[in-house]
Amino acid sequence: MDVLVLCAKTAVACLLIVAGGAKLADPASFASTVRLFIPLRIGWPLLSAIAVGVSLGEFAVGVASLTFPAIMALDVLVFAIACVFVAVSAIGYAFHRGRSCRCFGALSQRKFDAAGVLRGAVIAGIAAVALAHVNAAALQLDATARVLLFAAAALLAMTAFTAARARGAGSRREVVAQ
Amino acid sequence: MLLASSFVVVALILCVATVLALFGVTHVSMSGAEAIERDGLAPGMHAPVWSLVDSVGRVVQSPPRVPLQLIMFTDHSLKAFPSVVDGLREVMAQERLEIVVLTRRRNELAEPVLRLIGLDRIPVLTGSPSLYAAYNVRVTPFAIFVDSAGRVRASSLVNEAWQVTKLLQLADLPLGPENLAPRRRFTRRTVGAGV
Repeated sequence: MDVLVLCAKTAVACLLIVAGGAKLADPASFASTVRLFIPLRIGWPLLSAIAVGVSLGEFAVGVASLTFPAIMALDVLVFAIACVFVAVSAIGYAFHRGRSCRCFGALSQRKFDAAGVLRGAVIAGIAAVALAHVNAAALQLDATARVLLFAAAALLAMTAFTAARARGAGSRREVVAQ
Repeated sequence: MLLASSFVVVALILCVATVLALFGVTHVSMSGAEAIERDGLAPGMHAPVWSLVDSVGRVVQSPPRVPLQLIMFTDHSLKAFPSVVDGLREVMAQERLEIVVLTRRRNELAEPVLRLIGLDRIPVLTGSPSLYAAYNVRVTPFAIFVDSAGRVRASSLVNEAWQVTKLLQLADLPLGPENLAPRRRFTRRTVGAGV
C-alpha cells in the first residue's frame, strides 16, 4: 500500500513539474487559455502575469511535493490543485468545447472535451491516493536525497521546457503542401 | 528509512522515465511529417540576403530587383515531379516574377536536366547546406517567395502544380501586422557566396 501511495505522490508531482515547465515555454499561448476563464476584460500583461504565475505555482508545488514528501499539507494542496483541474476541464467542456486547453503547453494538442474531464478526474483520483496515511517519520529525507530529487525535478522541468519550445517553435499556418 | 529510500528510488525512476518519454516525443515531432510542415520561413520574416552567379555568369540576388522572386530549392530530381514542372511553366511567363533554382550543393546534372524539361530560362544557382538551413529547408522540392523588400511572402513544400500557383496567390496577399514581426530565430544574414 505504501508503495502505491509513494508512486501516486511522485506521479502527480512529476505531472505538475512537466505541466509547469512546458507552460513556461510559451506563456503567451497559455495566457489565451487563461483569458477564457476570466469574465472581466483585462490586459495582456496581466493575463501573461497570471499565466506565468500559474505555471510557476504548478512547478513549485510539484518540486515541493517531490522533495518534502513527509509534509501532509502539500498532499492536500496537490489534491486541491487536481480538483481545480477537474473544475477547469468541466467548465472548459461546458463553455469552450473544442478549444485547446494548453494544459501541457505545446507538448500536447489536447482540447476541452469529455476525455479531458475524465483525465482530470483520474489525476484527482491519483492525488487522492497520495493522501492516504503514510508514516511521516519514515518518509523524512536527508539533505543528499533532497538535493538529488531537486536536481531530478530541475532536469524534468528543463526537458519539458525544451521539448515544448521545440514542438511549438514556429508553427506554420500557410502550408499548402501535404 | 526504507520507506524514504523507496520514495527516492521511485521518484528518480519516474523522473528519468518522463525525461526519456519527453525526448521521444520531441524526436518524433521534429523528424516526422508534422516537422516538415514547419519547414521554410513564415510570411513577413526577413529572408537571407545573398548574391550568386550562375554557370553563364548571370548575377542573381535576393532580395530581387523585380517585385517577386520564387526560390525553388531543388536539383536534377525535379524531373521526378512533372506536376511541379508544369506549375513552374505556368507561372514563369509572369514578368513581375523571377524564378531561380537553388541547389543544396554543386550539382552538374541540375542544369542539363532543367534544359531537358523545358526550364532552361531558369538560372541554376549553387547554394550550400548552410543556406538551406538559413531558409529552414530540409526536404525538396521546396518553394519560397521573397519580395523586393526581402520579406518572405509564402513558402511550402511543393509536390503538385496547383501548390505552386496557390503559393503565388498567397504571395500576392498583403502582409498583415501579425506577419511583420519576425517570429522565428532566423534573421537577416548574408551568405558569403558569389559576387
